[in-house]
Amino acid sequence: MSSLCKTYFENENVSLKDYYSDNIYTWCTNCGNYGIAAATKRALVAENIEPKDTFMCFDIGCNGNGSDKIGGYRLHGLHGRVIPVATGAALANRNLSVIASGGDGATLSEGIGHLVHAIRSNYNITFLMHNNCNYALTKGQASASTRQDVPMDSSPDGTPSDTLNFMNFVLSLGASFAARTFSGNVQQMTEVIRAGIRHRGFSVIEILQNCPTYNKDTTHEWYQDRIYDTIEIKDYDNSNFDSALNISKDMSERIATGVLFANPNSVPFDQRLENRQNYSTELVDEVKSYNQISQELFSRFI
Amino acid sequence: MNQLDIKRFAIKFGGESGQGINSLGEILAKALKNTGYKIFGYREYPSLIRGGYASYQIDIGNEAINSSSQFCDILVCSSRRSIYQYLRDLRSNSILIHTLTAVIFKPEDQEFIKSQNIQVKYIDALTLAKQQGGNALMSNMILLGALAEIIGLDLTSVEHIVNEQFADKPKLLEIDLKCLKVGHDLNIADYNLNLQKFDGWQDSKIITGNHAIALGAISAGARAYYSYPMTPASSILSYLAETSHESGMLVKQAEDEITAAQMTVGSMHMGTRAFTGTSGGGFDLMTETISLAGIIETPLVLVLAQRPGPATGLPTWTSAGDLNLAIHAGHGEYPRIVISASDFETAYSLIQNAFDLAEKFQTPVILLTEKQIAEGLYNVKDLPQDIEINRYLLNENELTTKSTLKRYQFTENGISPRWLPGSDLPQYNANGDEHDEVGDVNEESLNAKLIAEKRMKKTELIKMSLPDPVLYGENEADITFIGWGSVKPVINDVRDILKQNNSEIKINYLHYDYLFPLKSELLLNVLKNSKRLVLVENNYLGQLGQLITSETGFQFSEKLLKYDGRPFFIEDILNFINSSRNE
Ligand SMILES: Cc1ncc(C[n+]2csc(CCOP(=O)(O)OP(=O)(O)O)c2C)c(N)n1
Repeated sequence: MSSLCKTYFENENVSLKDYYSDNIYTWCTNCGNYGIAAATKRALVAENIEPKDTFMCFDIGCNGNGSDKIGGYRLHGLHGRVIPVATGAALANRNLSVIASGGDGATLSEGIGHLVHAIRSNYNITFLMHNNCNYALTKGQASASTRQDVPMDSSPDGTPSDTLNFMNFVLSLGASFAARTFSGNVQQMTEVIRAGIRHRGFSVIEILQNCPTYNKDTTHEWYQDRIYDTIEIKDYDNSNFDSALNISKDMSERIATGVLFANPNSVPFDQRLENRQNYSTELVDEVKSYNQISQELFSRFI
Repeated sequence: MNQLDIKRFAIKFGGESGQGINSLGEILAKALKNTGYKIFGYREYPSLIRGGYASYQIDIGNEAINSSSQFCDILVCSSRRSIYQYLRDLRSNSILIHTLTAVIFKPEDQEFIKSQNIQVKYIDALTLAKQQGGNALMSNMILLGALAEIIGLDLTSVEHIVNEQFADKPKLLEIDLKCLKVGHDLNIADYNLNLQKFDGWQDSKIITGNHAIALGAISAGARAYYSYPMTPASSILSYLAETSHESGMLVKQAEDEITAAQMTVGSMHMGTRAFTGTSGGGFDLMTETISLAGIIETPLVLVLAQRPGPATGLPTWTSAGDLNLAIHAGHGEYPRIVISASDFETAYSLIQNAFDLAEKFQTPVILLTEKQIAEGLYNVKDLPQDIEINRYLLNENELTTKSTLKRYQFTENGISPRWLPGSDLPQYNANGDEHDEVGDVNEESLNAKLIAEKRMKKTELIKMSLPDPVLYGENEADITFIGWGSVKPVINDVRDILKQNNSEIKINYLHYDYLFPLKSELLLNVLKNSKRLVLVENNYLGQLGQLITSETGFQFSEKLLKYDGRPFFIEDILNFINSSRNE
């Protein structure tokens, strides 16, 4: 354990301080984002990934306000659009580890189409879904993952629309990697993010994130009382899709966390492209004149 | 001006969508071209898969032509609707061939046919095709054979193309060839195609503007194309996909245009060359992403293939109505470059220039085309010269102090050093929130002012480095036309006609490929020196005119605007000149 712990802070090529930023955090006291940021850095160090080889993309929301509080190459884009911008980047240069972060507001509303198609396409990125069950940066409106009976900023009587169980939804779409973790458990989060980075394909990680300001319903303590790790289940096999789907359902009594499902036969998008099978280079290395090819194609016209 | 001798000839095929009008047109176009004629092809079709009316028109010129005429000399119709639709597009002394029994013309149509001395010929093409063992589609071969005979086109040149196109279906090919012969032997009319043939033109190609964009992009090292189907941009997507094994390009049909634009930004940000293409409605969805590229200063290349809006508008027709959209797309203030193709050559070169400009100035570049250009069938000999590939990235070897590098450094001309993720240099945040020189969030007033100025400074620099508009024709002219896009080839073809006729009226034409930021020096000169200025645009508002007014204060009193989904035909320009002469 101690040697394992050590690699969270200090590894062969990289140490935690390489991901350090001078900028002062702007999150509320006790916000779940602190734990998420810590776990993200630890996971990168434990995976021995240098900041220059990291590309982190951030959505708009409280999560995105962490974009300049961490090292590495980063892009802080638009609300709901983090998945496509991150996948475009990942496809262009597969040598970088691409991690995308977005909130439940962004992901389940403006960005829901992107999520569905990224799962189908199995782009090789890690997606951290910060699920604090509300739109925090715009001051506490309900999202699709907010429980129905909870009064929120723009829905004082609770929201009339049904609540969406994110993990269950993602699994129903056939995700190649689906994990759930808790912002209060940095150790587990770190290991889950590591597994997500290592997975070849679209790794969806739902982080149950406490929001001390706008989510008085499912608080840190509320989660603490309910979560359990899949390792507690005897002989849990996370390559078994049906058992993952099954344990993902309960979001009120006993909430399963850990890597719920990982498809060992996952083939990421870039490896599915027939026309790129013989390329060992990255798109970023291939920008040069292809005049001969254009001439050849032109000559085929009659 | 009726006495003008226009050395052009046009054949139009009319029918329903699904009747094989396109392949009919294509075969004839290629056979004509292989015989040494210079041609230009133009298609009209409705936004549906079966029915409606569609046409394929081939114009043949005495020199290279890049425009269509409104009127044709031979009209071949295989549907009733197309006869009524296109009858009035026939010139005097022309021929109408059709395949329909008992066509009843209204009295005014009969009068028109008589007064214009139009020969109407019926061919029972279906019966003839069936006699050869063929089907409805093969009646097209009967028509093609008949047509070849009428215009004196050597049947072997048609057979050659048919052979090539249907080589993989030998049984059908045999019937096709029989049908051609039968049509040919009908000997139903004669038309003297009194046009010049050109040596060395036989090896030229027939190819669309969208192919030009695709080939230009491949050659310029574009390695990814993300797009969502939308006419008239779609054939860029399908052609790049079709050739992706040769090019190695990553071609992805995205789930929507927002995705396509975002993926393009992501890929460009990492340092490859990627682009996206769409039409107006899809472009609307891309606008927030263009704004993002503006603030994070990531090069972005978008093709906006115009068709008439608003909303779904006229999906398969042409327009140049989205100049304002391109200039104003996206919230906030940031520099951008808007350029427009006008023909095959510019489509090929400008997509390459778009990459160069986007990378040089680290900002979005929008390349406009129109359905008329995107799907126009150009007759071309060679691909244009390529534009040199420069990446304008920081040269790491020349660096002494790495640690002080700032990605958004305030520089004299507004352009900051750019290096790519993965480099062993300071890692930065490409921040869509307002930021300081290193990319960190910054809401201070001084920083907000300085970084806005840094970005906007690039506009002046861009303006200085863009090429001037081009004046075609003599400096002195009776009428000076000003326009952009597909207006250019029409007016230049008209200039040729006037020249051939030694017309006493002289026209010249000021053309803009590089529209925004608008260069106005040469323009002001032209404005000062011209006798009569006419703005020509394929839109209602005269959007280039509006831009010129806002830049220079100059107001156009004469405008020739067309916004019916059709391109300018040579007659539109000729009639304008003619009517103004009669005034
Ligand atoms: C196109 C667009 N619409 C709306 C907004 C306003 N907006 C900013 S953050 C946000 C919601 C954030 O909620 P979530 O994604 O759950 O992230 P959190 O703040 O909870 O981390 C919204 C609606 C925006 N920035 N852009």
